[in-house]
Amino acid sequence: MLAQFQASTALHWLGRQLFNRNDPAAFFDPLLERIDPLLAQQTIRARVLSVTPETADTKTFVLEPASRWQGFRAGQHIALTLDINGVRRTRTFSLSSTPAQCQKNGTVSVTVKRIKGGLVTGWMHDCLSVGDTVSVSEAFGDFEIPPVAEPALYIVGGSGITPVLSHLETMAADGFHAPVTLLYYVRTRQDVIASERLSALAGQWPALTLTIYTTDESGHSQRLSDQQLDQVPGLDARRCYLCGPEGLMDLASGLLNQRNIPEDRIHCTRFSAPTVELDSDDLGGQVQFAKSGQQAESLGDASLLDIAEASGLSPKHGCRMGICHQCSCRKTSGTVVNRLTGKTSGNGEETIQLCISVPAGTVSIDL
Amino acid sequence: MKTLNEGQLNELQQDLDQIRDQVLADLGERDARYIRKVVRLHRSLEVGGRVMMPFGFIPPVFLAATTALGLSKIIENMEIGHNVMHGQYDWMNDPSLNSQTYEWDNACGGDSWRRTHNYEHHTYTNIIGKDRDYGYDLLRLSDDTPWRPAHLFQFLNYVLLSTFFQWGVGLHELELDRLRHREVTLKEKAPFLKDFFRKGGRQAFKDYVFFPLVTAPVAPVVLAGNISANLMRNLWSSSVIFCGHFTQDAEIFTEEECEGEGKGHWYLRQMTGSSNFTGSRWVHLLSGHLSYQVEHHIFPDLPAHRYPEISEQVQAVCKKYGIHYNTGSFASQYGTVLKRIIGYSLPDRLRTRLLPEFSAAAT
Repeated sequence: MLAQFQASTALHWLGRQLFNRNDPAAFFDPLLERIDPLLAQQTIRARVLSVTPETADTKTFVLEPASRWQGFRAGQHIALTLDINGVRRTRTFSLSSTPAQCQKNGTVSVTVKRIKGGLVTGWMHDCLSVGDTVSVSEAFGDFEIPPVAEPALYIVGGSGITPVLSHLETMAADGFHAPVTLLYYVRTRQDVIASERLSALAGQWPALTLTIYTTDESGHSQRLSDQQLDQVPGLDARRCYLCGPEGLMDLASGLLNQRNIPEDRIHCTRFSAPTVELDSDDLGGQVQFAKSGQQAESLGDASLLDIAEASGLSPKHGCRMGICHQCSCRKTSGTVVNRLTGKTSGNGEETIQLCISVPAGTVSIDL
Repeated sequence: MKTLNEGQLNELQQDLDQIRDQVLADLGERDARYIRKVVRLHRSLEVGGRVMMPFGFIPPVFLAATTALGLSKIIENMEIGHNVMHGQYDWMNDPSLNSQTYEWDNACGGDSWRRTHNYEHHTYTNIIGKDRDYGYDLLRLSDDTPWRPAHLFQFLNYVLLSTFFQWGVGLHELELDRLRHREVTLKEKAPFLKDFFRKGGRQAFKDYVFFPLVTAPVAPVVLAGNISANLMRNLWSSSVIFCGHFTQDAEIFTEEECEGEGKGHWYLRQMTGSSNFTGSRWVHLLSGHLSYQVEHHIFPDLPAHRYPEISEQVQAVCKKYGIHYNTGSFASQYGTVLKRIIGYSLPDRLRTRLLPEFSAAAT
């Protein structure tokens, strides 16, 4: 074991010397991916095996990750990385399939709702097809199935059903016998994702009580209410799981708090649509320098380089006019406006030039 | 130097910014596919060269292996490394093509290159005393340096610099000249030297120790091939780079001229201080498109394969403002570079008589 480890560190050291990179194995990627994209070493690649429409704006993509992918636990997410018009973009999605399926045939599913005006989800719906490859991260997240068989309540909205599908199917297959209630909120009947899988579950698994509420069906609105919660038997003893849009999550945790359900028995997975792109007028915001732990307020009148320096940091820089890229730096989240082009950046992780970038809202920089 | 008034400079800036914005708005799939294709070509050449090299005891194989490895180093340094480190592909968000982390197949460390080349050379292009790439503290290329008898040997210096170009570039940041004049201390240069020995050592280990050793029975052949490939890259890249700023018509500037300059003046200086050469698609690829040095210097962070596409627009801008667009065949441009090197090695009076084009009145 130790000998193996030493051999691999030695090999890694040698690779760094020979190929001038910290991930020497990826040196051969441009050649290997011609043979099979799944051989690439820089990232873990996954092949799209099928694309199935769920609703008008939701599709399920079945992916087969390269064999070195380590698998996942029900309720976890992965980051998907795709090249869209030459630009590498990363977004997080919950896995809607079960670990059992992954063990059986090495596949996982993501169920993706098309966000209005969303660059990545839109592209996935329009362009990502069978045979294409994407990059996947190892799974992460702690939205896990109940540790012991105890009563559970799921409050789910819209595409928040995806990690819950993984939970429920896993629990059903494990013979989870405590009562499980799923309150599923959708806009209309047509917006129910994976309705066949849900009705199959409800049919085969007696522990599950499934209620679907429509919030936007012909003038008849069934938003989450205290009365609906009253109908859940033994609510106080249940472990609660919330997954859906911010509004529903806030409402649900408020109602559960009123009922004195302890915080540690309420599990949330928050996901929200990326904020809409800002006008260049909406400049300024909170700047967080992640490595140094510094924070600063931007009024939108200074570049991130100036802000960093005013905060006592001394980032590498050169021309201060956007030419030399000495000050290029990772932005981990948030949006910036390029002072030269007036263009607004994406809100994900990417490289920016500090000297010509002005924050537009809260920005986190790897400095 | 060609002078323009403030209004013209502003207009020049707008004209060039417009070309730049057009390209930026159009960046996408095509550019990504291009650079990935070049990277694939590099990997094929390097793997091919390394695999063939041990069989180099057969003369034609030696030739093929050395050429493949030499071309791989040229393409990696010129079209990939140099351009990636300029940030030309940062927008792709691919960590393998990131300007700040890329490390090239060259004795010069990436960080040192980013400081001396991207920042110093590209910001202070051809400003005597500020742009240390102008003559590399080694060659007298203008009469701003008073002539000394030692300059008589500078052609030999030039040949040596070209032969060992990667090491010259690697040691550029040491600022030997300033060390000699005690303007900086060796202690201040210690971090740089540490990096230099690490990177230079790594490169020497790879080409001159590791690959010869693993092919022990034919080690001399592999060593000879690797030396030849490095030599090929050194001679070609130094020639390309010298053609970029030292041709007859490439202008030089004083610090006073450039004090407090705006973007328009910076553009003007980049255009008049740089020179192109013509050639086939392959010549452009192998030069990393530095054959479009003018375009590169006004837009150092646009993907280089775009330079040929915008060249006509840039020429039209030059024409509009009466700026000389300095270009010619490689032979003619390189000829004027050699003349400059030889001319300024001679005492001023002799130079003005023999090479009147390099007399003070002509420049």
